[in-house]
Amino acid sequence: MPGATIDHLISATLFLVAIVLFISLFSQNIQAALLYQRNHQISVKASDLLDAISLNTGYPTYWGASSATPTSFGLQDPNARGYHLSPFSLMRLTSSTGAPVYYPKTGLWYSNVTMAPGGFLLVPYAACVNYTTSTQLLGVNGSYGFQLTVNPILRISLTELRASPLQIGVNVIGPGLPLANAYVSYNLIFTDSSQKQYPIFRIYSGDARTYANGSAILDFPSITGTQNAYSLIVNAHLGGLYGTGFFERQYIDDRFIVPMVKSFDNGNGTATILLAHSYNVPPLDKTTPAAAIFYNATFLVLATDAALHPVLIGNGTVADKVVNGNGDPYGQILIPNTNPGILVVTFSYGNNYGISLLPWGIGNLAVSLTYGPNSSVKDWVATDVRQVVVGGVSYQIKIALWSLAGYQVQGSRWVF
Amino acid sequence: MMRTVEVIMVIVILATAFIVGSLFAVLPSPRQISSLNLRELALTTLQTLDERDELSSTVFQNSFDPSWGYLETALAASLPSNVVYNLTVYDAPATSNGTMVYTPVKTMSNAQTGLGASSETASVLIPSSDVIFTVTPQKISASARPLTLYILNCSDANGWWITGYTAQTLAADLYGMLSPYFQTTILVNTTQQLGLLLNNTLGGRDSTNSVVINTFGEAVPIPAGYYTTKGYRSSDRSYANYTYTLGRRVNTYNWTWVSIVGYPFYYVTNTNTFSTTQNTYGIYGMRQIGTDGGGGPSGLNAFLRGLDNQAYSYDDTWITSNLGVVQLSPLATSDANYYGIRPSPYQTSTRALPTSIQSTYHLSVASLVFNQVGSYIAGATYKHSGRGSFTAIGLTRIPDIRISVLSLLMYYSPTLYRSLFTSSGTTRLVVLQLGLQGGG
Repeated sequence: MPGATIDHLISATLFLVAIVLFISLFSQNIQAALLYQRNHQISVKASDLLDAISLNTGYPTYWGASSATPTSFGLQDPNARGYHLSPFSLMRLTSSTGAPVYYPKTGLWYSNVTMAPGGFLLVPYAACVNYTTSTQLLGVNGSYGFQLTVNPILRISLTELRASPLQIGVNVIGPGLPLANAYVSYNLIFTDSSQKQYPIFRIYSGDARTYANGSAILDFPSITGTQNAYSLIVNAHLGGLYGTGFFERQYIDDRFIVPMVKSFDNGNGTATILLAHSYNVPPLDKTTPAAAIFYNATFLVLATDAALHPVLIGNGTVADKVVNGNGDPYGQILIPNTNPGILVVTFSYGNNYGISLLPWGIGNLAVSLTYGPNSSVKDWVATDVRQVVVGGVSYQIKIALWSLAGYQVQGSRWVF
Repeated sequence: MMRTVEVIMVIVILATAFIVGSLFAVLPSPRQISSLNLRELALTTLQTLDERDELSSTVFQNSFDPSWGYLETALAASLPSNVVYNLTVYDAPATSNGTMVYTPVKTMSNAQTGLGASSETASVLIPSSDVIFTVTPQKISASARPLTLYILNCSDANGWWITGYTAQTLAADLYGMLSPYFQTTILVNTTQQLGLLLNNTLGGRDSTNSVVINTFGEAVPIPAGYYTTKGYRSSDRSYANYTYTLGRRVNTYNWTWVSIVGYPFYYVTNTNTFSTTQNTYGIYGMRQIGTDGGGGPSGLNAFLRGLDNQAYSYDDTWITSNLGVVQLSPLATSDANYYGIRPSPYQTSTRALPTSIQSTYHLSVASLVFNQVGSYIAGATYKHSGRGSFTAIGLTRIPDIRISVLSLLMYYSPTLYRSLFTSSGTTRLVVLQLGLQGGG
């Protein structure tokens, strides 16, 4: 009798333990399968969302070059179709990488797409399409989060090998390898020091080929001395890939011109660019009164002959001055808003010269853009990538997508 | 002990079931769960490389051409470093029975072996550049009736501000560009025929809803006889009443009048009537419309009054402005792509009309060719609130008639019916296969 009781106890205990163990094991498998299915669904959603953004112009169709807030979100270039992104719509996305800039003269905060030396793209937040708005327009608000990254495929790095006579080294590389035998065309915008105030510029153009390591050397024997500033804009292409890079030499202290977008559309085919004194713009933000900076502003478009051509609008080239005090706090210039180009501002202070560039359309200076919150801290992120064209320049657009639905997105298969 | 043994047997059965179940329920690898969409990446890579037709050009080169090497470099440089590729170009000639036989002509790859089962493929069919596509334009019509295009080609009149051209050569070019869009295109070859058109009796046709293009630039031909007599008013010693009559005709017959360049209706021209009169620049056969051979702006003002059915009055106030460089509007840029007419997006305007004419003469901008600058418009088609339209291209000489053509097509928006690609023997199929390193 006691033996039978013990037998009962042991068998019942074993049975219960075994049942609990196997239920746990089977549920682990089922849970993992569900998890995989959900993650696969995020991956599919990432691909769909990237296509929805890349193959849709949004509405209004030309919202990128206007002041309108889109009622439908998309970045496709309405003039090109296919995987062509509008260089203007991209300008109106709030950058999530550059530190926001506050400009006290207008009392506005600006989205800092780039403040690379000499090249500026600062857009007022009020004119930008913020991340929340785009998630609402795309119908993923509260369900998915995403980050878009738009980068040029070709990286063109430029270095000054020799100052006088000027010699520049060019290096063209893609994500995979250097671009050998690439055709390189360049435009050197060179300030003319014969004009003490309102300096004008000259353009030197030419072309070259890269060596097997993707490098090339550009010589400018007629440019000697080190007292003049220049901007060098280089375009490279090979086998259908197009890229752009730029480099600057400034001969001025911390006083320079900072161009900022004031408005995208004035209703008459123009946009307004504001030209600020660097003393009023972080990180300098100096209150010390300084002498005026004299500037000349010209809008250039890159024509099909790979040369830069000035476009006159209104009174044509605008020459004026800015100071960081109360008088002449900033200048303004109108530029055509529906054609990509580069605003070139040559300026002088005493015997010092400099050049500031503002790309109108992010392709012109191969500006990169990151839009949306940081994806690196999310649990499960699906990514996808497309090759696109922005303003004639080859880019890659990458999306990182994650779920906000709240279910577990990571797990371990075995707990024992 | 038997029950314990039975339970152990149950455990063995459950364990076996779990193991067997796990063997069959193989979960996919994380790479398969969330991989790059290689098919889309391949497709967009091909499209990017063909952005300026470089891929199209390369695939028709012989296999020793250096452009293949450039393509290979570009392909390797553009793809992420963990992506391997295999690009194959096939020739696609048609056999006599119409079937396509694909023959590989070139292959390039950076993979040692195959790309794995998880690789994806995209392809594009590239036609040779000498292939002709058929495009059939929709005939422009109104109220289901096809419209007639009249192009002034008067041999007895001279043009002004059409430097480098004659009105007749411009008329021939316009005919070539626009006649496919119209059911009937009529060249008005003399001022006498123009008089018939103004009487709505030319060729016995009803010209209602038609389009009239004046190829004479700033001058407008005037028929001898009735229109010369009625057009001249001795009270103001001008021919402004003639352009007033033109405005009335445009309104009455619901025409669209097109001025291709400069200040519209600035001169009046007839080489017989004005055989001894010149325009002060040595061109005989014309004179300024206004008082005593001056007052050129009176012609446009009178035309607009006629178009709006206002009473005639002489007014030679200059109303246009010199804007300098102007830019095509977004709609014009888009339509230029659609219709395959690609003038320079930047033009110089010295005769832009003020926006105030819209309220003064009950006009509205039906299609904007150039972006408005301040309160002036360099080129647009204005539609009257009642009947009649007026296209004014206020650019400086020399005229680019593609702008006039574009403005008309923008206004009427005819559809282009493009033929399906059916050419054979002139295509190559480009297949790009992408895989991830490590297979999968």
